[in-house]
Amino acid sequence: MTSASIQPVILVRNLTKTYRVPVRESGLGASIKSMIKRAYSEVEAVRTINFSIEAGEMVGFIGPNGAGKTTTMKMLSGILYPTSGDINVLGYIPMERHPAFLRRISMVLGNKSQMLWDIPPLDTFRILGEIYGLSAANYRQTLDELVGLLGMEDLLKKPVRNLSLGEKMKCELAAGLLHRPAVLFLDEPTLGLDISIQRRMRDFLKEYNRRYGVTVLLTSHYIADVMALCPRVILIHCGKLIYDGELQGLAQTLAPFKLLRLTLNQENASVGHFDLPYSAEIVERENSHLTLRVAREAAPAAVSYLLTSFTVSDLTIEDPPIEAVIDRIYQEGSV
Amino acid sequence: MVYLRLIAQFIRASIMEETSYRVNFWINLLHSLLNLTTGVLGVYILFAQIERVNGWGFPAALAVLGVYLTIQALRNLFIGPSLDILAGMDGEVWSGNLDFTLVRPVNIQFLASFRRWHLFALFDLILGLGVLVFAVVRMHEALTLPNIGLFLLTLVAATGILYAILLAFSALVFWSPGVMFTWIFDGVFQLGRYPLGLYPGWVRLALTWIIPVGVITTIPAQALSGDLSMNQLALILLMSVVLVFCASLFFKAALRRYASASS
Repeated sequence: MTSASIQPVILVRNLTKTYRVPVRESGLGASIKSMIKRAYSEVEAVRTINFSIEAGEMVGFIGPNGAGKTTTMKMLSGILYPTSGDINVLGYIPMERHPAFLRRISMVLGNKSQMLWDIPPLDTFRILGEIYGLSAANYRQTLDELVGLLGMEDLLKKPVRNLSLGEKMKCELAAGLLHRPAVLFLDEPTLGLDISIQRRMRDFLKEYNRRYGVTVLLTSHYIADVMALCPRVILIHCGKLIYDGELQGLAQTLAPFKLLRLTLNQENASVGHFDLPYSAEIVERENSHLTLRVAREAAPAAVSYLLTSFTVSDLTIEDPPIEAVIDRIYQEGSV
Repeated sequence: MVYLRLIAQFIRASIMEETSYRVNFWINLLHSLLNLTTGVLGVYILFAQIERVNGWGFPAALAVLGVYLTIQALRNLFIGPSLDILAGMDGEVWSGNLDFTLVRPVNIQFLASFRRWHLFALFDLILGLGVLVFAVVRMHEALTLPNIGLFLLTLVAATGILYAILLAFSALVFWSPGVMFTWIFDGVFQLGRYPLGLYPGWVRLALTWIIPVGVITTIPAQALSGDLSMNQLALILLMSVVLVFCASLFFKAALRRYASASS
């Protein structure tokens, strides 16, 4: 193995981005006043974050709205200039926008389109082929493969504006992968798509990553995307990196509680008052079925108490669902 | 070569986009004819009252109008539409779609300047050149090859000046997305319909050195009629090179201010 191949594909050190945004009160008077003297405030979108990503990894980049995910991604792709810190992607400094660097990355945004709206996708692809300097044979071969993988043969000759949201997203992905990038930045690629198209997109990305070893950094608010595609997640909140590791580990090691699901025997089922042990709380109660939340370290004692105090016909101890953990982290801002 | 092939692809896509709305053709045709009529009428009405103004007669003024229409047509052919995608209403800087342009491995200024072609402007170009030739013939000047050569050279330089000004005005959008800065220039550019010599001294100075719209139209017209001095030729060539260079630097600096749009 050469030293180049063990170098991370993406390396981020002490990355910070501060925006200067205009501040304006509501109302006509404030509008007129702002024309004469405009007030600004500084917003720290990204605060000293560090991480690295190896070649071929698929990493979920998650966090609540406004956490700084997209800003970070745009700095990694050279679109935005960092306020401070270092970024190295594929051995290049993104903000220099070296053509050799740009030829090896791609960006697909779920809420923006790179397609020409009034003409069929094939014509946008042709222009992109020219922009990326693809040979005719190379262009044809890649396009045929992408069209086959995405199942979009019948879309190629319809104007983009007449396509459905799912069909447009297929075009966006094909447009983004036409030059076979080594690094793919995916920002909410399944936004607004129905469940079956979402699944199809995930299957496609998984297969594409398997075939070509493309490194993927994915942001999505659909945890199903992240669960299906990304063994590793980076979680940021208010611009700070608060977790970097396995997705399952997020729940197992960082959620400070366990869920105890128990089914009581009929004789206890009507118990109205329930003495909760070890500061456990009832999350859900339906007839004889109960779900309790209990502090992780108190779980064994709580189980023992329940089994000795009640006739229990079934009991399971679970980590909380990943969505619940993430929701809690989003709300509390820490893990 | 790559850039020429790209321009060919952009022209091809633009034709496809424009022909997807058939009514556009008729609206553009009507617009071109109205533009021509109002322009010629303006000059005609002026010279119907008086034979010469500051040494300029009707055919010479008509030649300047011809250059104005020709340059406007060149602007509407690719500079205007391309810069509009960047800095126009709902432009890329405002919408954040510049993200895609910035990750392309080609020169951003090239993409911003050549990617949209409005082929209906070719009709305006023919009308503009027609007015110009008609005016020169009315001046009883022979269209000699050297004059045509000088005219083409100064026309390219004039287009360069116009391009530099529009690029610089468009780049201001990075400071205030959504503001149509080129409209400010459009107001001034109207003054280029008439020969520079028609204006009082201070306006002439402003139209030569501050916003050189007078240089853009008057000098090529003089080149075609054989009235061009070496100083004027040097002025327009030098001005074109310097302004394009400065505008490119300014555009590059402005790009750094891009803040994208939130997701």
